[in-house]
Amino acid sequence: MISLKGLSKRYGDRMAVDELTLEVRPGAVTGFLGPNGAGKSTTMRMILGLDRPTAGTALIGGVPYHRIRYPLQKVGALLDARALHPGRSGHAHLVAMARSNGIARGRVAEVLETVGLGEAARKRAGALSLGMSQRLGIACALLGDPEVVMFDEPVNGLDPDGVRWVRHLMRSLADEGRTVFVSSHLMSEMQLTADHLVVLGKGRLILDAPLAEVIARSSLTAVVVRTPHAADLAVRLKAGGVAVERVGENELVATGVAIERVGDLAHEAGIRLHELRTREASLEQAYQELTASSVEYGAQKAGV
Amino acid sequence: MRQVIGAEWAKLWSVRSTWWCLAGLTALMVLSALALGGATATDLMREGVRSARFAVSEPVVSATTFAQFALVALAMLVITSEYASGSVRSTLQATPIRGRMLAAKALVVLPVMFVAGVLSGALATAAGYVVLSLDTFGGHAALPLGEVTLDLLRVGVFFALVAVMTLGVGTAMRSAAGTLTVVFMLLMGLPLMLLMAGGPAAVEVSLRMPLFAGLAFMESTDNMTGGPIPYPAGEGLAWLLVWTAAALAAGYAVLRGRDA
Ligand SMILES: Nc1ncnc2c1ncn2[C@@H]1O[C@H](COP(=O)(O)OP(=O)(O)OP(=O)(O)O)[C@@H](O)[C@H]1O
Ligand SMILES: [Mg+2]
Repeated sequence: MISLKGLSKRYGDRMAVDELTLEVRPGAVTGFLGPNGAGKSTTMRMILGLDRPTAGTALIGGVPYHRIRYPLQKVGALLDARALHPGRSGHAHLVAMARSNGIARGRVAEVLETVGLGEAARKRAGALSLGMSQRLGIACALLGDPEVVMFDEPVNGLDPDGVRWVRHLMRSLADEGRTVFVSSHLMSEMQLTADHLVVLGKGRLILDAPLAEVIARSSLTAVVVRTPHAADLAVRLKAGGVAVERVGENELVATGVAIERVGDLAHEAGIRLHELRTREASLEQAYQELTASSVEYGAQKAGV
Repeated sequence: MRQVIGAEWAKLWSVRSTWWCLAGLTALMVLSALALGGATATDLMREGVRSARFAVSEPVVSATTFAQFALVALAMLVITSEYASGSVRSTLQATPIRGRMLAAKALVVLPVMFVAGVLSGALATAAGYVVLSLDTFGGHAALPLGEVTLDLLRVGVFFALVAVMTLGVGTAMRSAAGTLTVVFMLLMGLPLMLLMAGGPAAVEVSLRMPLFAGLAFMESTDNMTGGPIPYPAGEGLAWLLVWTAAALAAGYAVLRGRDA
């Protein structure tokens, strides 16, 4: 469990993280989203005690990171996979990390096996491809068999197999009851992996909710109705206070309404339906709505 | 703490630069000791005092002035390479108590450089004795075991302390370029400038900076001041310790205060 209370970080005159209060619970994958520069990495660094918060606290299982006796056995984190001494092999790096935290040396081979880095771990870290470094970084995070894992953009640079593997890894870590906190810009990936979402915008918490709820709340989640009497039904739905749009000869799209209510209204009016279904917004769409106002470094619109 | 030291130990030996620096250190020690010893022997021959003798560890002590930069490079890389690559974040994740990380690095660098100093000094002494005993050099070289042993141990202590001082500066500066500049100024630039400035106060200060303090401690007779350093060896060691402690304290202050 990670608990943040009023966590803030100021760089110069701008707040990179602004009064962030939230709990990341065990047994679930919590996706950490937000536009570039929103403060995700800064938040993670503060949780790990690498950056000192301007205000507020970050606790892991109730204690600050630096109070944990063998931190790697409690928290595994991948921040920047490239942040390795280029002349040291991944294997040597893991051996040193294991030694510093009283982790059995045998774990090194185990985690290298888990991430699928065999002989490559004997190469100088500088000679690894981005995807291989990413796997090495994940191996390092798993080294101490930690209760809490934190990944900053773990699928960055991974091939499709690797992406799928990370998805399964996060799922199984959460299923084992661990706390999994992962940032990503890949919405399709997050939609498949995350149970819960935390969205930051300009350092502020925009949203802290279950994925299912985020999708359901999106204005793009709608009820699609196909009926030979589309015009009639549209009138009835509007009369019932439902926002509805006719999208084709026989098709209506109603938003902000439960599918049951659409069915009931049609039944009351005696209108035959050929299809009644929910069309879920993608996370990408829901996310775009949420952050439209807080994109810091978005591309300028043409003509502006 | 023992585990953290073990990890730093493993990290030190798992990069090639360590071996290169040690090889460079040894080469510099041997070559400068031979050159300086050769010069001393030639001087003695010119003066024609047949019975004059000098301990071959004397040029070895003087050689430290040149060889120390290889050890500065090694000690510097222990910390600056971590900042350059960003792996310091990984290190601090494993050891979040920052003073502990710095202490572990110091406790690895200290004995390693002590041994490196003694061994490279011994090699330079042996090489010097073999070469300077040749007839060409007039047979002025002597190998008084007690004096040589003491000299070599002091070279080890000097190297160990300069290395830890460099580690402290490196922790404060973080970049290799900044560290080299500051350490070079402390070891050579400032003391030589002060020495050349020539005022009695300037000379007094210069003589208490790390290099001359070290030479005083090693009882060097032949150095850039042109003669023995005019205060006792014990005082030299004390000044050396003061500089080392100050550098470490500066490093710790920055390490504690700044974001990693
Ligand atoms: N060391 C630093 N000094 C000054 N400003 C910083 C520093 N680190 C981060 N920032 C600023 O803080 C803000 C948040 O940065 P952060 O890296 O946490 O964003 P992020 O959400 O991880 O972005 P991305 O998705 O691009 O990784 C940015 O405006 C960034 O410029
Ligand atoms: Mg980031």
